[in-house]
Amino acid sequence: MAAESDIALRIRTALGDYLKRDPASIKPLHALREDLGLDSMATIELLYQIEEAFDLEIPDQDLQKLLTVADVIGYVEGRLRPSSPARATGRPAKRLPARKKG
Amino acid sequence: MKNRVVITGLGVVSPIGIGVGQFWKAALEGRSGITAIRSFDPFPMETYRSRIAGQVADFNPSQYLEAVHADRVDRYAQFALTAVKEALADAGLRMEEETPHRVGVIVGASVGGLLMGERELTTLYRNQKPHRVHPNLIPMVTLNSASGIVALAHGAKGPNLTISTACSSSAHAIGQALTCIRTGQADVVITAGADASITPLVFAGFCSLRALSTGFNNDPARASRPFDRARDGFVMGEGAGALILESLAHARRRKARVYAEVAGYAATSEAYHMVIPREDGVDVAATMSLALLDAKLLPAQVDYINAHATSTPIGDAVEIRAIRRLFKTRAERVSVNATKSMIGHTLGAAGAIGAIVCALALDTGLVHPTVNYEDPDPDCALQGIARETRRRPLKVALLNAFGFGSNNAAVVLKQFVS
Repeated sequence: MAAESDIALRIRTALGDYLKRDPASIKPLHALREDLGLDSMATIELLYQIEEAFDLEIPDQDLQKLLTVADVIGYVEGRLRPSSPARATGRPAKRLPARKKG
Repeated sequence: MKNRVVITGLGVVSPIGIGVGQFWKAALEGRSGITAIRSFDPFPMETYRSRIAGQVADFNPSQYLEAVHADRVDRYAQFALTAVKEALADAGLRMEEETPHRVGVIVGASVGGLLMGERELTTLYRNQKPHRVHPNLIPMVTLNSASGIVALAHGAKGPNLTISTACSSSAHAIGQALTCIRTGQADVVITAGADASITPLVFAGFCSLRALSTGFNNDPARASRPFDRARDGFVMGEGAGALILESLAHARRRKARVYAEVAGYAATSEAYHMVIPREDGVDVAATMSLALLDAKLLPAQVDYINAHATSTPIGDAVEIRAIRRLFKTRAERVSVNATKSMIGHTLGAAGAIGAIVCALALDTGLVHPTVNYEDPDPDCALQGIARETRRRPLKVALLNAFGFGSNNAAVVLKQFVS
């Protein structure tokens, strides 16, 4: 199995801090809502911390794709990859109509 | 024995018109007041996820108000003053003929005087000169500045209250005014709701909450689309609504024209979440039921619901779920509309403006359209929601208003029968 990336470790640590639990107990396949108990507001707050930690802006339409810890890790890694358009331009990707919490 | 309470005057400042005549005409035509925000100087609009709002265009306070009042308060209170002035004139209520302590003022406001607040805060941090903070900051920012200035401008010395329950504020203001008159504390209550806080910080706050529509920045008029499948969040608005509530006995003595009777009210908390409503709609259904109980009416008697309907994916579905739960088969026969589809979410003003729409609907038999209802979400579709104005006999109207902090309000208005 590949070693965990630095990004993955930082994300699990951020989750651990937010949830006040041991980051080692947070697994990539944990669902944010069903396994970690995050409601939509808590998810928004958590992702705000992630944005801050990685100097990213996550558009509304990307939020709905982030359902598991692995999704978050994969998303951040993708955004920070040198070939990523958002990374290259330093500007957030173009926004599409989004579904949001009510 | 409770006094009966009626509505005798209306006034409004809104993104689709200043004055009830302009507002109602625009509403019946389905005109949108949602436009692009020109600037949040010094921040580029591209740094905001949402860039549109229901803005009151070309509001010049000096056109409506005396400087001695207008200059003392922030925009939201200027809106309140303007709407109240119209409502009092509409009611033909002359304060010099009233006993001052029998006329109260109750205002609902959510954010209040933050235009001034943000300006002074920014200046302070930029100049680092605390002694240059404007002496009028505190009086302008204090949330009861609107109810204070309204009383001052009109000599109303009765109970003077400000209700702040986020987006349900002025629905509660109407409910409290009802209680005040029913119990004999006042004969008249000047009731209003107002908010004008489309500001760099407040707007950014709503953007960060991921609560606003961000998918229609290039097509603002289509952004507020309650009950539609493509809805993606609410559109912030600003404005004020004012209603003159008085006891029926007092209205009769004055031979006042009556728009409608305020028949019932319920105030509840879901005690659930500061931002998210309970998805099963049980508490919303309970609130509507309690308001009807207070009015001594049954769900089967309701003809029209002015929905809270902010155009959020979850909120709209919860409200319709609650309506289906309470009204059962009648849910498909009740007319339902969403004023926010045209003016956006005016926060503290929403309840008052919704009540004005209910009063006008009962008075005229006209239900304004819900605009942008193009592809109904099956979770929200009811026969009674329409893209065009409908005419039908209306005897009982229900107003819903739900606020952050798990706060729900419902008000029942009915056709006045002597």
